[in-house]
Amino acid sequence: MNPSPSMVPARQYRATVLSNRPVSTGLIHLVLECDAPFGFLPGQFAMLNFTGAQRRTFGRPLSILAGEGLRAEFLYRVVGSGTADLSRLVPEDEMTLLGPLGTPFPDRPEDRDAVLLAGGVGLPPVLAWWDRHGRETDRAYFGGRDAGDLPRELLPAAWKMSIDRRQDGDDERLFEGRVPELARTDLAATGRGKSFVLSCGPLLLLQAARRLATEHDWPCFVSMEEHMGCGYGACKGCVVPLQPQPDSPDPWRNATCCQDGPVFDADDIVWNRIL
Amino acid sequence: MAGNAERNPVKLPPWWTLDPVAEFRIGPRAFPGRIWTASGCFAYGLSGHDIASSEFDSPYTGLGAVVTKTVTPAPRSGNPMPRLCELPHGALNSIGLENVGYERFLQETLPELERRGVPTVVSLAATRPDEFGEMCEALQSTAAGYEHWHGVEINLSCPNVAEGGHDFGRNPETVARCVAVSREALPDRALLAKLTPNVTDVAELAAAAAEAGADAISVINTVIGLEVDLESGLPVLPRRYGGYSGPGILPIGLAKTDEIVQKTGLPVVGVGGIRTYQDALKYFALGAVAVQVGTAQMEDPFAAARVARDLTRA
Ligand SMILES: Cc1cc2nc3c(=O)[nH]c(=O)nc-3n(C[C@H](O)[C@H](O)[C@H](O)COP(=O)(O)OP(=O)(O)OC[C@H]3O[C@@H](n4cnc5c(N)ncnc54)[C@H](O)[C@@H]3O)c2cc1C
Ligand SMILES: Cc1cc2nc3c(=O)[nH]c(=O)nc-3n(C[C@H](O)[C@H](O)[C@H](O)COP(=O)(O)O)c2cc1C
Ligand code: FES
Repeated sequence: MNPSPSMVPARQYRATVLSNRPVSTGLIHLVLECDAPFGFLPGQFAMLNFTGAQRRTFGRPLSILAGEGLRAEFLYRVVGSGTADLSRLVPEDEMTLLGPLGTPFPDRPEDRDAVLLAGGVGLPPVLAWWDRHGRETDRAYFGGRDAGDLPRELLPAAWKMSIDRRQDGDDERLFEGRVPELARTDLAATGRGKSFVLSCGPLLLLQAARRLATEHDWPCFVSMEEHMGCGYGACKGCVVPLQPQPDSPDPWRNATCCQDGPVFDADDIVWNRIL
Repeated sequence: MAGNAERNPVKLPPWWTLDPVAEFRIGPRAFPGRIWTASGCFAYGLSGHDIASSEFDSPYTGLGAVVTKTVTPAPRSGNPMPRLCELPHGALNSIGLENVGYERFLQETLPELERRGVPTVVSLAATRPDEFGEMCEALQSTAAGYEHWHGVEINLSCPNVAEGGHDFGRNPETVARCVAVSREALPDRALLAKLTPNVTDVAELAAAAAEAGADAISVINTVIGLEVDLESGLPVLPRRYGGYSGPGILPIGLAKTDEIVQKTGLPVVGVGGIRTYQDALKYFALGAVAVQVGTAQMEDPFAAARVARDLTRA
């Protein structure tokens, strides 16, 4: 199922901020210019860090939204001190970037349509896949907190959107509820042949995506999030528990989220050890 | 840090006369350089090795050795997540010595390091002193002909493993036993004993290790630490305690290095808090024969290569 896409070598870059501005109430779009050409595969991420006194012990992992020529793009939410500092960067500020890192989403199997589910800051890798591989028969869903949280300028017209809370005056076409419910409703209405599911977002979304896939006997790939140190497989700080291999004497199998992941076959993950 | 713009011009003090990328000896072995990566912070030396940079050919450039992630007699699954907690001046880790076990390491990893010509020091930990001897024997019988395998660092100090390093590293007699059985199996490779800073008298332990046959002492491993999550009032790490590493422990590493050099005169490989060539110089100023870069190597796969380059006189 997983036609392995050819990897782009990782590199340590110096990067300059081109723009860093909100595209919704909660999401910020960061565009960097790297000191050498930048390439990536959808699902990969980069470790970003500051220079000078702001530099952190570890970089911050962010999924790559887009990258071409010298440009690398990201989408993030402020959740702590690092992302808060990130939000204060202005054009011409300098950063370091290590990437692209990790195992990407698989390419499309020709005989299947994609069902894409993204929630919040889970958007970048899924949107990047759509940008590269998407076709008319694919279905893509994005969920935000409320109408203001939707990064409208980035979302393709074909994507359907859900919001947790509807307010007066919100676009009628927005689905009130969670992304998986939206997907179920829409897939039931439009019908679906052989498909496969790709998802990134909160754990509950990933699990719901997996259930949806299992019900239809579709493959499902999810992009996981774990706290990271190095981002390149050096520290074992970011493990995801996988089903032990049948021929292995060990009753456990750990994968690194940064190198073996962040994209995993949802069936390989031991979900009850994560939740 | 991806170097230049941030880097002030390198200014080496007049007393610095060593060439960090020239051969030097520890015990029976000649090492190709004095700047190494520390155990557990650069995996088995085969992750991130292919990352490119505009400044270096590879992360191996100028390295005197890669000290590989500690391996144990049996594979270990390590501790629960989260295993890392970033702090303003470093980090706490509680990896729990996750590793593939020494047998797989000997079959798969060490031959690959040899094939790539990576100068290697193998880090070992055990639950009983005899196991050090058994692992060293296996190592010797697999790799006796290897050119790039330079030595063994016995990890007597990992503070994360309840049944492991803790006790070994605190008792001079146990330290001596672990070293003696390893020495017996390793006639022609360097033997280093890595000590914990979490003891009252590190020099006494270093002396015990040397008497039992260690060629040099690596100090320090991580410092026991704890971080509390204010919202929950609970320790951040599930195992409560972690190992503190990074710039915050530089003064501790320097003090332990000094104690050992002053009291015993033994060759010391300085570890702890090194990010820049200035940090490394401080260890050398106190008499360290080589240094290792740990946490900084995680953030920057070229950290050790950078230190080696900066310490090389034009
Ligand atoms: C593969 C991957 C891709 C990611 N992609 C994105 C993205 O595209 N957009 C986005 O907004 N966020 C993304 N994240 C989450 C992002 O890395 C965290 O929000 C960020 O590290 C928080 O840093 P902070 O300093 O603001 O938070 P703090 O809580 O102050 O950070 C403290 C430490 O915890 C780590 N940490 C905190 N929260 C997370 C988290 N959720 N996941 C991993 N590490 C965390 C930090 O890296 C740091 O080491 C991704 C995470 C991973 C693992
Ligand atoms: C994530 C991590 C894993 C480590 N694993 C090991 C290990 O397996 N064996 C060991 O002897 N030391 C281990 N250490 C300790 C380092 O080798 C080093 O002694 C310590 O971190 C201090 O150096 P630093 O401040 O440069 O990181 C580990 C440290 C970190 C941060
Ligand atoms: S973050 Fe270090 S191994 Fe994944």
